[in-house]
Amino acid sequence: MVFGEYKKELMDAAHNERIRLALSRAIKSYRSNTNTALKKFPHTIKLAEEVLEIKAKAIAEMEKLVQQVSQAIEENKGKAYIARTAKDALEIIDGLVGTGKLIVKGKSMTGEEIGLREHLEEKGNEVYETDLGEFIIQKLHSRPMHILSPSIHVPKEDVAKLFSEITGKELPPDDISKLVATARELLRDKFFKADIGISGANVVAAETGTLFMIENEGNIRLATGAPPVHIALIGMEKLVPTLSDAFKVAEVTWRYANYTVPSYVSLVSGPSKTGDIEKVTTYGAHGPKELHVIFLDAGRTELAKHPVLRQALYCLRCGGCLYECPVFAVTAGYFGDKLFGGLGAVWAAMVTKDRQKAAAMAYTCLTCGRCKVRCPMKIDVPTMCVELRRLLVEGA
Amino acid sequence: MGDKTLVPSGLAYLADNIISKQNILGTAKEARARWAKDLNLKQTGDTVFFVGCGYQYAGELDLLSSMARKADKSILGADRLVGLAGLPKKLGINPVSMLSKSKADSADPLKDAVKVLGKLGVKFGYLGSEEPCCVGLLYYTGLHRDFAQNAQATYNKLKSFGVKRLISIVPSCTYTLRNLFLPFIGGYDLEVKHFVEVILENLPSMKLRFPGEAKVAYHDSCQMVRFLGMKEEPRQILRAIKGIDFVETEWTKGEWATCCGGGGGFEAIFPELSHILAVNRVKELLETGAEIIVTHCPGCIMQLKSGLKELKSGVKVLDLAQVVAMSLEA
Repeated sequence: MVFGEYKKELMDAAHNERIRLALSRAIKSYRSNTNTALKKFPHTIKLAEEVLEIKAKAIAEMEKLVQQVSQAIEENKGKAYIARTAKDALEIIDGLVGTGKLIVKGKSMTGEEIGLREHLEEKGNEVYETDLGEFIIQKLHSRPMHILSPSIHVPKEDVAKLFSEITGKELPPDDISKLVATARELLRDKFFKADIGISGANVVAAETGTLFMIENEGNIRLATGAPPVHIALIGMEKLVPTLSDAFKVAEVTWRYANYTVPSYVSLVSGPSKTGDIEKVTTYGAHGPKELHVIFLDAGRTELAKHPVLRQALYCLRCGGCLYECPVFAVTAGYFGDKLFGGLGAVWAAMVTKDRQKAAAMAYTCLTCGRCKVRCPMKIDVPTMCVELRRLLVEGA
Repeated sequence: MGDKTLVPSGLAYLADNIISKQNILGTAKEARARWAKDLNLKQTGDTVFFVGCGYQYAGELDLLSSMARKADKSILGADRLVGLAGLPKKLGINPVSMLSKSKADSADPLKDAVKVLGKLGVKFGYLGSEEPCCVGLLYYTGLHRDFAQNAQATYNKLKSFGVKRLISIVPSCTYTLRNLFLPFIGGYDLEVKHFVEVILENLPSMKLRFPGEAKVAYHDSCQMVRFLGMKEEPRQILRAIKGIDFVETEWTKGEWATCCGGGGGFEAIFPELSHILAVNRVKELLETGAEIIVTHCPGCIMQLKSGLKELKSGVKVLDLAQVVAMSLEA
């Protein structure tokens, strides 16, 4: 009785005043910030149209791009892998990580998709989420409720309570900077002690094998720069042909994620190296000695063939749609599975292949279409949800 | 492989009504078109007024949805799948018998629309109890084979009455008849106009004066603004009415309007959540300080009214057709 359980969770969330309070604050500031960012950089709207063309073309040639990028990364002395299923990806990672390791992790929805943190912990590793929101989620034993702001449903009062429990010191909820400083203190030494850093990527340039990682906190820079090994897990849909394409995708992504410009964009193409002693290229300077990049298929190739649902792969993960969804505004990520909202329904059907969950979510979409108005890729979520209903109910 | 049991039962109930009785409520043919019985509308003509289910069954649908909401909350418990399906039976209620309990004002927008069209000198017929259903709900439910079959039957019926043009008033029916039928029916040749478009064509010649002065906010229905793309049309009409002080929400207007919570049969699947969304939307609209909320969709009207009731607000909801009819100068 998947629908019944899902509906109960959804309704519990809808009656939770704290979720609604946190969401209403977030929606207000998202709209205002995005408005400011788009006003300051009005070219973004045209750029988004160009990016849509780039994405549509890239999704059509995903297989070619994944071969190209793998070759480029190998030429850069990194290791590239193509995982056709979530299980394959976990096996590859197990082979690299083993057990008893200290791992620092950047936030990754692809990691979430395959249950990476839980898996690594089960294998006897100590894993630290280093994104503040994800760290809060990990400590609360909750799950992310938004793709960019995983702890969006947790108001500051609850964060203060949590951090007070962890540190044994009374932390006031109104001093947010104190809360942020506490997280920094708790995680500081982990970056430097860690055996492995794990990240995702926002977009990848196939021709050079360059991973783009957009962030504000600086945790990804540290997690991918300080440990001796960097493992990146990336969905195949993140590939675009060229560096210049990737810059365009990145700019549109952060702008619609409500930033004029993020504090950091890290570009990683290979392990750290130096040629400073007699021009002999030596790997493993100050950054990681090893770079392993795993590209995940897990249904994406199939999804790319579907005439209506393929647009789910155009998603930049800016998260803008969720701030416009009236259901999300009262339920947060409970209207979701691995991804949220109507797009999450497509993901559940085609990527994680949970038909019951997919149906429940597809019928939770109001088909109101406001997300499409916000979406820089103009992803038609109502049409996708209706098509998904058809597919689930009538078959292909 | 398809699995029909994946359709939530509330929606399956409405879909079954459409398939078996050609209307959303599953009433007998004779029970239809009661709103027009004293209007002497003729059944023939190239152009017909297409009224759909929403307005004419507004009272019954309201009753049914408030029962579903209560059941969703209490009787059956939230851990079970609850919708409209089986509910009338469970509560010992026959939805058809509810027709007698329906509120008198529920079909007023239709009568007012007829009054306005008459005043504009538009020649039109009304198929009355012979009017077929737009069957759009089948499409949104994902039952596209049933939709294709029933849409064809609807088209054939309209053609058998010699219909060439439709003036449609429910936004969702309008979008279905204008857009969704196209890929399913070869040689589709019906011209579908929305009521608002007809008014707009005649707006320059109309003298409109609202009885009294009122601060009015407009709620864009999803189907009107984001599906049919009619953002300016209703606003132009409201601005042309003397006595109306037109106010807007800050963010949530036009294509950014928030759904009332009734979208795509949602209130049949999640009655209680749908009500929460209605209350949220009403709160946004009340921030404008409006005394009247005008919209143009029977689903939105029902949702907004229930939201206002919850908030114990005295603000009224009127259909755009009602406001125009009230403002016609003799």
